[in-house]
Amino acid sequence: MKYKDYYETLGVPRTATQDDIKKAYRKLARKYHPDVSKATDAEARFKEINEANEVLKDPEKRTAYDQMGSNWKAGQEFQPPPNWDAGFEFRGGQGGAGPFGAGGSFGGGAGFDASDFFESLFGRRAAGGGARQRADVSGQDHHAKVLIAVEDAYRGAERTISLRAPVEGADGRIAMQERTLDVHVPRGIRPGQHLRLAGQGGPGSGGAKAGDLYLEIEFQPHPRFRVEGADVYVDLPLAPWEAALGATVDVPTPDGTVQLTIPAGSQAGRKLRLKGRGLPGKNPGDLYAVLQVVLPKADSDAARVAYENQARAFPGFDPRAHLQG
Amino acid sequence: MNRTISSALRGSVVEEEVELTVVELGRVCRATEQQIEVWVAEGVLQPSGDTREVWRFGGDSLARMRLATRLMQDLEINSAGVALALDLLDRIAELESRLRR
Repeated sequence: MKYKDYYETLGVPRTATQDDIKKAYRKLARKYHPDVSKATDAEARFKEINEANEVLKDPEKRTAYDQMGSNWKAGQEFQPPPNWDAGFEFRGGQGGAGPFGAGGSFGGGAGFDASDFFESLFGRRAAGGGARQRADVSGQDHHAKVLIAVEDAYRGAERTISLRAPVEGADGRIAMQERTLDVHVPRGIRPGQHLRLAGQGGPGSGGAKAGDLYLEIEFQPHPRFRVEGADVYVDLPLAPWEAALGATVDVPTPDGTVQLTIPAGSQAGRKLRLKGRGLPGKNPGDLYAVLQVVLPKADSDAARVAYENQARAFPGFDPRAHLQG
Repeated sequence: MNRTISSALRGSVVEEEVELTVVELGRVCRATEQQIEVWVAEGVLQPSGDTREVWRFGGDSLARMRLATRLMQDLEINSAGVALALDLLDRIAELESRLRR
């Protein structure tokens, strides 16, 4: 297990006041909140910031953490000294919800995803893990994300997903249980949409019904296709003569190749619409081929002559005419 | 660790096939009816129906409500601030999608 320097995480000195810590935390939380930030490691950073704040905002936890000394370096191998926490009473916090996120929040509040380091110091319960069900309570609705390929949305797909959830055993202990579900992803699903699987959430107790499972569908980035709502965009490179004279070319779509007629005189950036070839469904989207003109290299005598002939053939052509005056 | 396997499940697409009552929305988002009322008052959620008892929320309210709840809890912003943040996030998403096309 590696030592975590919570002060370094929040960017404050060990002498920081509670007020400084709060300010630093708020600022970083806004910066790295996964709903707001575009940073690729936003979620991981946000978790670390929350964990650091969870310890440093609480004077008792902070004192205990400080007691281990300031000679540790972040990332150093670490084992808590025996009885290091004698005299502190922070174990056994209130139960929150499990790994699906209490109230769907990423951190703070009623439970967060604590590191091994945190748990070795303050215990699992301090992180709000391990909810206890009361009698006759409907099961909670659970949430999870599923990644699919663009092609899956065109054809429909089956996905096997693994879910981990805390389950209370007969002896009252909370154990993580993994279950796998085979899920049919319907044709025409769009990015960001949710699938509701009735009765697949948390179990109810005392005969009450189970909660539902909500799966948020996300699309894997595709090297060729960009999905915007129901529409799909694909860049279509053309030779200059195809763009100028018109041509019929093959265009890849997630559903297979189609032929597209390029009108004569097509400029780069022009979008040609293939109606109804976007994501399928009641209101199918469109597929847009975004034209690009690619110049062949002038790396042979014949190629250079061809370009020189073009220059002679268009004596009045000035691509920068609109920049004048 | 235990493993149980069930056969392929078919769900409903929330955004297209599902309307939620205030009770259902509260359960999905783990929010109270009072919190939902606040989001309706701020214009973050726009249900059909005049009174709370007959409110019906479109399936897209689910993602919006969950986002609003996360921002409020994680960043300690008040409801008006969250409503503003959501409007700005919508605008950013719209501009970014225009850039990607």
